[in-house]
Amino acid sequence: MQDAPGPCRVVAFVRGWSPDRAGVLELERVRAHLRGLSAELVFESEHGTWLLRPDDEPHPIERLGRTRFRVDDEEDAVFVIEASGAVRFAHCQRTPIAGTLAPALQRATDVMLAQAPLHFTRRAWLTTCVVSGFALVVLSACKQKPSREEPEPAVRAPEAGEVDIVLDVNGQKHPLRIEPRVSLLDALRERLLLTGTKKGCDMGQCGACTVHVAGKRVLSCLTLAVAVQGKPITTIEGVAKMGELHPLQRAFCEHDGMQCGFCTPGQIMSGIAILDEKRATDDDAIREQMSGNICRCGAYPNILAAIKAARGGAS
Amino acid sequence: MNAFSYVRPTSEAEALRALAEPGAVALAGGTTLVDLMRLDVMRPARVVDLGGLPLDRIDAKTGGISIGALASNTAVADHPEIRARFPVLAEAIDAGASGQIRNMASVGGNLLQRTRCSYFRDLASPCNKRSPGAGCAAFDGYTRMHAVVGGSQNCIAVNPSDMCVALLALDAVVRIKSATGERAIPMSELHVTPDDRPNIETTLKPGELITAVELRDAPFAKRSRYVKVRDRASFAFALASAAVALDIEGTAIKAARVALGGVATKPWREQRVEQALVGKRPTQQTFDAAAKLALADAAPRPDNAFKVALARRVIARALALAGGVS
Repeated sequence: MQDAPGPCRVVAFVRGWSPDRAGVLELERVRAHLRGLSAELVFESEHGTWLLRPDDEPHPIERLGRTRFRVDDEEDAVFVIEASGAVRFAHCQRTPIAGTLAPALQRATDVMLAQAPLHFTRRAWLTTCVVSGFALVVLSACKQKPSREEPEPAVRAPEAGEVDIVLDVNGQKHPLRIEPRVSLLDALRERLLLTGTKKGCDMGQCGACTVHVAGKRVLSCLTLAVAVQGKPITTIEGVAKMGELHPLQRAFCEHDGMQCGFCTPGQIMSGIAILDEKRATDDDAIREQMSGNICRCGAYPNILAAIKAARGGAS
Repeated sequence: MNAFSYVRPTSEAEALRALAEPGAVALAGGTTLVDLMRLDVMRPARVVDLGGLPLDRIDAKTGGISIGALASNTAVADHPEIRARFPVLAEAIDAGASGQIRNMASVGGNLLQRTRCSYFRDLASPCNKRSPGAGCAAFDGYTRMHAVVGGSQNCIAVNPSDMCVALLALDAVVRIKSATGERAIPMSELHVTPDDRPNIETTLKPGELITAVELRDAPFAKRSRYVKVRDRASFAFALASAAVALDIEGTAIKAARVALGGVATKPWREQRVEQALVGKRPTQQTFDAAAKLALADAAPRPDNAFKVALARRVIARALALAGGVS
């Protein structure tokens, strides 16, 4: 526990943020990014300063102070700093980051992956304030004119054919820069780290990737992310409300509606849709309506029981 | 999947301009296109996303129903007027794919749905449909799912659509637009048999866009049924299916429509069966005798010879359901 977990430290100034205000899922997503970056996170808001390591709970620590990083009180910022002190990524924005910390870290990862190794010291950065190409960036946050002797940091420019989109997932807007060929499934899993939605066959035959787009169940593997921008998308991560499982999630637990569990998120997304659409009229109708969700463990009788239990009523 | 340029037009005119560009394909629900692109079977340079066009209206009027090309399969099958006036169409759509796919798939996309021939989908196999002149792996391969009628020496891939079979039986009309004008063709003139050009599947010209499908009320349309036989109870392509419609006046059949799916290279009309029904009493004997006339020109292969007998029984069963005999 005393050892520093990795070569990187992420520093985030996020107004309004605190561990108890963040959802469990957001913390998990942030931890996943930290693992990817081999990093620990220090985040600071008006409520305090905390250290978060990937496999630990947040611990309060001593205040860093925004002024050291030249972040003013009306902006949020994320920095990735190597053990050497080199700043690998810096981003400031006036829009609050709270609630979108995970995608901001994803952006940091993307930028760092695209960068050539930087010869950029923290000291140099402190006098220049680098602003990344993050979609939400507010350039006015960059208060001082760059006057660096070091090479320009390679901010990742959009590559040919990339497009900027906003995905509206589980009530949160996520700006993304992607190629049009990226499926909604890959955007959810690889970019937003919403890995509850599963990739089974990736060719429309198993249903593991089922999500709701504009209230309808669809296959995210055969959906291009770019084609559903602006439409409300619900994934399995979005069906529990205020920490309460959806009644169908509870019914799956009670009726043991899974064995290995891989198909379960898709089964539940499909099941919720047929319950909402009142298609689960009798056992045969449920079997027919659920035929697009394959369960190779063969938990079908228990899935049927779970859906009937969540529906309530006779038959 | 290959990289491609992507546009999302917001007007028909803009879409038609984009579709006129070389290498452009239209994206609607994506259930065929995205699947085949991921397999590298289709590698379009430009994808024109039709999702921004207002073409999803289902307009029920006296005399008929107009279905926008972007109406989802679910929306069509659930539409109360379609269920009441053209039941075979709702039944055929409900018999196809899964709930998720029916939510995504559009009517226009379903009309242009491509074959599920496993050799067409496998880049390692020669396929005349994919690369004209390359040869056909099916002839030396496993042909249980392949066509028994409408094939050529170049291709015996089945048209997999259920919806198209119903639309053919209902004498639907397909409305088509292009940058230079618009036209309407009967459903029977949309699909073509492979002959010596299996890569050409329809009479659509490059740059043309299907905008709607029109159904006209006919005495037979209300008494119409779809029967599909497949390897599992749901979410499987047809081994054989039949869409039938009967106009029965008094004790005699006045008009009939019979179309087959799962057995042919395009949605397959059986006019000999239809003619044999006209003037007869709607009895099981009548239906069995007429159904035996189906697929008279079939050229089955050892793997799929069963489809001939199966298709005839499916027709007889569908006629019995439509005629109220069973």
